Amino acid sequence: MASATAAWVCPPTRPEQIENLVSGVDRYNPNNVGILEDYLYHQIRSEEYDCLANLAILKLYQFNPDLYNPDVVINILLKALTSSPFPDFNLCVSLLDDRPPNPNLDEPDPLPELLSTLTALNTLLHQCRFPAFWSLYYSDDLQTLRDNYTVECVGFEDSVRDIVIRAVKATFTRIGSKRLGSYLSLDGGDLVSYIDNLGWQLDSSTAVIAVPPNPDNQISSTVIQENIKLPQLTKIIAHETLTV
Amino acid sequence: MSQQRPALWAAEDEIEEDFQGVDMNLAIGNYGQNGMYDDVQSRIDEAALLAVQQQMAQQAAFAQIPDTVKRFIVHFHQAVLNNNLEEITVAYESGWTRLTEKFYAKTEWPEAEVIAPLVNDDPIFLILYRELYYRHVYSRLQPNIDDRFHSYENSCELFNYLLNSEGPVPLDLPEQWLWDIIDEFIYQFQSYCVWRSRVKNKSDEELAMLQEAAQASVNIENLIIINFSLDLCRLVDQALLSLVWSAYSVLNVLYSLIQKSKINEYIAAQQQGKTEEELAEIVGEYGSRPLYRMLGYFSIIGLLRVHTMLGDFTLALKVMEGVELNQKTPFTRVTACHVATYYYVGFCYIMLQRYPDAIRTFVSVLNFILRMRQYHTRSYQYDQINKTADRMYALFAICNALSPSRVDDNILNVVKERYGEQSAKMTRGEEGIPAFEELFIYACPKFISANPPPYEDPSLLPLHLNLTEPAQRHLSLFLSSVRSQLSVPTLRSFLKLYTSLDAKKLAGFVDADEEEMVQGMMAMKMGCRSVVGGGVGGQVGRGEGTLQAESGKGLLEGTLVSTSDLDFVIAENMVHIVESTVGRRYAGWFIRNTEHAQRVLDSVKNSRLPTPPQKAAPPGPAAPAEAAAKVGQKVTWGGVKVA
Repeated sequence: MASATAAWVCPPTRPEQIENLVSGVDRYNPNNVGILEDYLYHQIRSEEYDCLANLAILKLYQFNPDLYNPDVVINILLKALTSSPFPDFNLCVSLLDDRPPNPNLDEPDPLPELLSTLTALNTLLHQCRFPAFWSLYYSDDLQTLRDNYTVECVGFEDSVRDIVIRAVKATFTRIGSKRLGSYLSLDGGDLVSYIDNLGWQLDSSTAVIAVPPNPDNQISSTVIQENIKLPQLTKIIAHETLTV
Repeated sequence: MSQQRPALWAAEDEIEEDFQGVDMNLAIGNYGQNGMYDDVQSRIDEAALLAVQQQMAQQAAFAQIPDTVKRFIVHFHQAVLNNNLEEITVAYESGWTRLTEKFYAKTEWPEAEVIAPLVNDDPIFLILYRELYYRHVYSRLQPNIDDRFHSYENSCELFNYLLNSEGPVPLDLPEQWLWDIIDEFIYQFQSYCVWRSRVKNKSDEELAMLQEAAQASVNIENLIIINFSLDLCRLVDQALLSLVWSAYSVLNVLYSLIQKSKINEYIAAQQQGKTEEELAEIVGEYGSRPLYRMLGYFSIIGLLRVHTMLGDFTLALKVMEGVELNQKTPFTRVTACHVATYYYVGFCYIMLQRYPDAIRTFVSVLNFILRMRQYHTRSYQYDQINKTADRMYALFAICNALSPSRVDDNILNVVKERYGEQSAKMTRGEEGIPAFEELFIYACPKFISANPPPYEDPSLLPLHLNLTEPAQRHLSLFLSSVRSQLSVPTLRSFLKLYTSLDAKKLAGFVDADEEEMVQGMMAMKMGCRSVVGGGVGGQVGRGEGTLQAESGKGLLEGTLVSTSDLDFVIAENMVHIVESTVGRRYAGWFIRNTEHAQRVLDSVKNSRLPTPPQKAAPPGPAAPAEAAAKVGQKVTWGGVKVA
């Protein structure tokens, strides 16, 4: 079985310079924050994702409050949202120390307000409440988030749809197209072409989509037998050799 | 003679009238007779007067030190001078503890300046003495701000000596002490951070000192940071002294020790099975000395802890990349370190929502503690280990509620005993949240904020009066992930009754909207899949298991597996359910009883045969054999019942 976390621990797209930063003590050098921030914006433009590199930015912010840049933090959180059901979002928030708003700033810090919105979005994704996610996401209250942030984040909505597809693939063998449409926030021709792209079959008479078989939606009952490992027997064997 | 000494003062009764061959006058030197009084007569300026007063105070303090303690310090110093590990260990582990109980249970030990004459002002010994002195203050008394600053300075001096002397220092200390040095350094850092973050109830003097520290750190931090990646060790120098307990300085020390000792290279080479000579070649002059090697290893564990306290759970596990967690490496000899390692690794796994890995980690070390219990009741760290173990049982209860699985019965029984009530609550949906909260807050590590409140700008301080504690922040993050799985136990209990079931019917059972319930089932399905590292699906060995299947792969690695014995799939509106069953396990039972039988047989074989009755002509080999068989049988069956 291939490691599920290899790409997360070290994405194949990660440049060597970043790898050295992430794995060495250079990650603590605040002079490197620019390199990591540039890399974040590169991720945003090219639909890549590197959680550990982004956590390194937050780490530098944690130690050097002067470096703090709310836009960067929000972008990191947006990227982390799309890795649900993995807990990346929470891991990022863990690194945000609680700080009262600094009254000396020229502009108000947009993060505190957006953080609660993003947390709500994350919760909905985590609970697989996809229709609720979309209605919150498209609500008027989130206009600023959409206009200022997610619009820059290439493929944000599609990566949310990837989360939906992961959950649906695991849970369903067949699913009504209306239901799937509500999860994906797609309907009509968009939905049909999205399903076509996935290579899934839509039965037009019943409007039911067949989800291709995969290890998660092929269930079978098994009886697990125990395996005795040699270390369990060391005491007994050692004793035998002693007495012989 | 040298063998006897520690036993003598470590014994219950001291020999008051005998200095055991140590000439106190010699040891004290010409204290107080260095011509100071002549000067006093001629010109008494303020400084001299102060010095004299100080000296007189010190003399008075010196006079008050019980002779036993003086003798102890002299012996202790000798042991350190001779690098006599055995004697140092006795002095460190029992002598110090015993005298603390007897004379210093509620007060400080004599200050280092006061006892200096006893040890010929040996600066190294005085640093080590202060290390113990401050540790005692922190553990038994309330450290004041001076203690906090001075203990930091002393730690800096110690690490400076270790890292910036010319070549490795010729000092040998017991492994336990080395662990305690690192452990205490981080504890004091954490304690300082917590104290510093509470803006309330600070005296003016404290505020002034904190302000000064904050300003100094602004000036010096830049310097430090620029050099950080250039030469770590050079930084553990005077500049650091002004950066009292900053996160940078603590990390600096730990990384310096890791680099200097080349511990990661050592572990990697060891895993590749390199010979002793090759190892020595690789790790160089520092790393081949046990003192540096152990400090290096303990620093890795220290980093694990510091990063966990700062809320960086991925980095915490990442620094452990090279370390192979099992109970066979020599690094596990220090039990406190071993237990702490597993505690922090397990906790990080919880925050990464990798509950099966957390369970595996806790089971492994809790079994270890159960088995070691009989050997450790004497250790002065027994209490601490027990406390950590109890926290791990609580964390285990949390994990088991979130990812029920077949686990070690021994551990589960203890959990039921200690946290049965909470465990039951945690399966009851929203109602169970307080139980999660209670256990999490009890069992989580101490969290800290990386940055102090802005003491340099008093106008901003009031804003920091009512900040949430870091622990509360992590708690709410944890609860948010718990909440997505709250409906699972109820759904599970219904699913268990069917092989297929209409979604609408199920929604009726749980009194929920059908669409919402289907989404809940998706969340449940996703929640039943978890990243698991190491021996995937492997049975949790009885504490023997390695946490890593293949060496060279970090603790962050893992594969996605299904963790639930109940699986289901939805075809349109029909839920199909299957349940995996686990065949009965016999191995453990047979192994336990075989081991038991072996022990019984041994004791039967080793016990004396009953003296044969006088009159019986042939001793009759049949009779004793029969008796032995009888005894054996009886005991064996008794053992079965117990097991």
